[in-house]
Amino acid sequence: MQWLSAAFRRMRMFFSRRDRFDQDIEEEMRLHRDLRAREIEMQGATAQEADYAAQRRFGNTLLLREEIHQDWGLAWIDHLRQDLRYGLRLLRKSPAFTFIVVITLGLGIGANTAIFSVVNAVLLRPLPYSHPEQLLNVFENNLQKGIKASGCSWQDFQQLQQSGIFQSTAGAQRHDLTLTGTGSPAVVTTVVVTPEIFPLLDASPLAGRYFMPADNQPGSAPVVLLSEGVWRSRFGADQKIVGSSIHLDQQAFTVLGIMPAAFRVPVFGSHQEIWIPVAHDPLFGGWIDKRGVHFLRVMARMKPGVALTQVQSEADSISRKLASDFPVENGGWALHLAPLRAAIVGDVKTPLLVLLGAVGLVLLLACVNIANLLLARATLRAREMALRQAFGAKRGRIIRQLLTESLVPGLLGGVLGVVLACLSTRALRLLLPSDVPSTQPVQVDVWVLTFAVVVSMIASIGFGLAPALLAARTGFHTNFKDGAAASGLDVRRLRVRNLLTVAEIALAMVLVAAAGLLVRSLISMTSVDPGFQSTHLLKAEISLPRYQYSTPQQWSAFAETLLDRIHAQPGLRESALAVPLPLADSFVNLPFSLAGQATPATTPPTADYVSITPEYFRVMGIPLLRGRFFTREDSASSQRVAIISESLARLHFRDENPLGKKLVFGFPPDSNVAREIVGVVGNVRDAGLIQEPGPMMYVPFAQGPFWGGELVVKSTLASSAVIDSVREVVHGIDQNLPVTRIGTMSDVLEASVDQPRFRTWLLGAFGLVALLLAAIGVFGVVSYSVASRSREFGIRASLGASPATLGRMILMEGLSLAAIGLGIGLATALGLAHFLKSELYGIASYDPATFLASTAVLLVMVPAACYLPARQAMHADPMIALRYE
Amino acid sequence: MPRDEIPPGTLYMLILRVLARSSDELHGFEIAKSIETLSEDVLRVEEGSLYPALQRMLIKGWVKAEWGMTAENRRARYYRLTAAGRRQLQEEISRFERVMGAVTRVIQTA
Repeated sequence: MQWLSAAFRRMRMFFSRRDRFDQDIEEEMRLHRDLRAREIEMQGATAQEADYAAQRRFGNTLLLREEIHQDWGLAWIDHLRQDLRYGLRLLRKSPAFTFIVVITLGLGIGANTAIFSVVNAVLLRPLPYSHPEQLLNVFENNLQKGIKASGCSWQDFQQLQQSGIFQSTAGAQRHDLTLTGTGSPAVVTTVVVTPEIFPLLDASPLAGRYFMPADNQPGSAPVVLLSEGVWRSRFGADQKIVGSSIHLDQQAFTVLGIMPAAFRVPVFGSHQEIWIPVAHDPLFGGWIDKRGVHFLRVMARMKPGVALTQVQSEADSISRKLASDFPVENGGWALHLAPLRAAIVGDVKTPLLVLLGAVGLVLLLACVNIANLLLARATLRAREMALRQAFGAKRGRIIRQLLTESLVPGLLGGVLGVVLACLSTRALRLLLPSDVPSTQPVQVDVWVLTFAVVVSMIASIGFGLAPALLAARTGFHTNFKDGAAASGLDVRRLRVRNLLTVAEIALAMVLVAAAGLLVRSLISMTSVDPGFQSTHLLKAEISLPRYQYSTPQQWSAFAETLLDRIHAQPGLRESALAVPLPLADSFVNLPFSLAGQATPATTPPTADYVSITPEYFRVMGIPLLRGRFFTREDSASSQRVAIISESLARLHFRDENPLGKKLVFGFPPDSNVAREIVGVVGNVRDAGLIQEPGPMMYVPFAQGPFWGGELVVKSTLASSAVIDSVREVVHGIDQNLPVTRIGTMSDVLEASVDQPRFRTWLLGAFGLVALLLAAIGVFGVVSYSVASRSREFGIRASLGASPATLGRMILMEGLSLAAIGLGIGLATALGLAHFLKSELYGIASYDPATFLASTAVLLVMVPAACYLPARQAMHADPMIALRYE
Repeated sequence: MPRDEIPPGTLYMLILRVLARSSDELHGFEIAKSIETLSEDVLRVEEGSLYPALQRMLIKGWVKAEWGMTAENRRARYYRLTAAGRRQLQEEISRFERVMGAVTRVIQTA
């Protein structure tokens, strides 16, 4: 331990005042000499003689002090300070160089730090709960029916809770309720929970208390917890709100408490406004005695020290017991456990790592570029280095000096980079799935800062090492001879610079190709035909409170009145109601069977279910392929009808005519209703723009009513005018009804590719930066070569070489570098492209067109970068060159 | 009287010994004088080298230093032995005796 305390004492010295230290030593030694001199004087010498004698006996004060400095390790610090100061002075002396280096590095480090901050938030930082590794998501799978990652039924959840295989379990689901009585009616995002969720997530309320098990008993008083956001925005941060009651779906709920702004139930998005117990939800409350309804998302905390595999096997035996006890409802269902993190983070891992890799390549390119710049400067500083060596500087000392010098712009770039990263964290949230930001804010924390510092240091050494090694190798005798023909060192330097340029072109090729692939993929994503016409199409959601509008008859009647009144408005003729709306809502998948056929023992076929009013297909521009659309005559009292999509017709009727055949499907209690197929329409991509359209079946709204729906309006009027009239009409029917989620269908289409688009923009930007950096690199190396060979060109010109010949020479030089770089880059890009495979839509990862185009881009870039130096060579003046000799 | 340079490597031991014997804290000149006096003026410290040695001992934690005033009212740095210094002294002495013993045996048998 002694070395440790010694190191500590040395450290303290590093931070203490140097001048003070030296003064102390000086004073101590002076006292010694004075006392000795006095002693000698007493023996009879004169004062002056005594002083001299004392000094002689003492020795060389300066050398002694040096020795002390060495011992404390101060010499090292002295050198560092010297080099840093010298580095700063050099930077001040050449502001243009400094500017380029610091900006280049700042952008490179900033981009890396920013992307890393996302990686840190999503992949590295633990979830913000105690012992996050114990948290699990519990799903139910029914592989026989092809259902994966479904919720659990209430009864199964109870079974899990009682089994005691977990430390604790909690359930939740999302359900939007209508808040009335405080200003205009609003739909509030509600998460329906079991009381155990709060201790499970270490939550504590801002005011009041959270739910207790008694609050979730059937027959208990309805209670609600408010988010801090809603409390401030809707209730004016009223302290007395706790204990008073608010109206949700026209029913009174007592406010029990207020949850802090940061509290979220994971997996239900970042926007959560209120929480209520499951038993009091108008929808889910009625499902808790239904064993077959798998609606509850269950989270669990494992007991400490228990392995996931062990709990899974315990859960398996519960599943088996449930299946044998309740073969009808639980047959085929099995509990499946997965870490909570996986459920929150989703599938962003690969895209994030791809981006981190890409941005790392950009920084590498930036470093290569700066190394190239430094090498050019090294030629200018060769004499300085030779001089230093002549005065006795050791090779290691020179390398250290040059590395310290490159550390200065490196760290300045790092500071700029951190600033840029801080500014960009907000924008980068777009990279995340909607669940992540709530639990894992993207921010510059200690780890991100450490990353930035480490990256800046590595970058500084990265770009400083080659120039430093080459400079230190200088034989000093060669460098005092100036103006001589390119020395061996110059040739070596040029060779290294050529090598670096080849590397730059290769790196740029990789990034341009990757960006090209993503751009092509985005183009094919956005040019996908969704199956409907989105132009001039507006949508708005109207949701009916279920306490007030409790019967299907009321829902149908509301829809009829609404559309009648909207159609009466000028310019709103083309409007319809649908549940769910493709891409805007999540799809609803239901099993169906052909009437008259026995239900197959294996998985029943499923199709996406949509309930629509008759105008829907016309408004959406979905083509009719066979039969007819729905009409007003298809009502609750008439024959049940259905329209199917082309894909369903092809899958299940092949060459037969589906018209007149009957399908059995529907929501309970109509699940066994046979519906006659009256029409076939075109396919629609309802689940996702880049997912192949699956089979779909439509029913008339009157025969499959719902508590509200999405209103779609095709109108050439301004959107604001349309929305105003829609609001007016809705509030004319019931002034407590909110109109929400208003937007154009084009926006909905755009939004569905938001994440890939953002990633493409980012990688595209990286590609452009790479291209620019490589162009600067080629320009630098070629113009340096032209400048140092001006005499050669002069001689060539005087011997009759035409300007065109000289220009071509330079161009060929650039192109030969490019050819090697492109070859290497192309091979690397092809090798790396498969990492992008999961990101690509509609093109192969080796897409020849993209690779050809990227090659072409670089082949244009190289001559462009060579243009100016080539011109200079073409105008070489033979006289100037010859005058040198 | 002829004076001998102190053998290399023994400077630490001498300083530690002087500090251990003294009941007071000593400054540099006093340490040098003590070594001279104790050795009856035979051993002479290479005076300047005392100070780098003291600094190294400070780094190693064998001594502690504090500023004080001399009898003539001048500022001086006073050195004091630490527990680690005391242990080091024992070690240095036993090593020295080992070496001296060996050297003496070589001389006597020769």
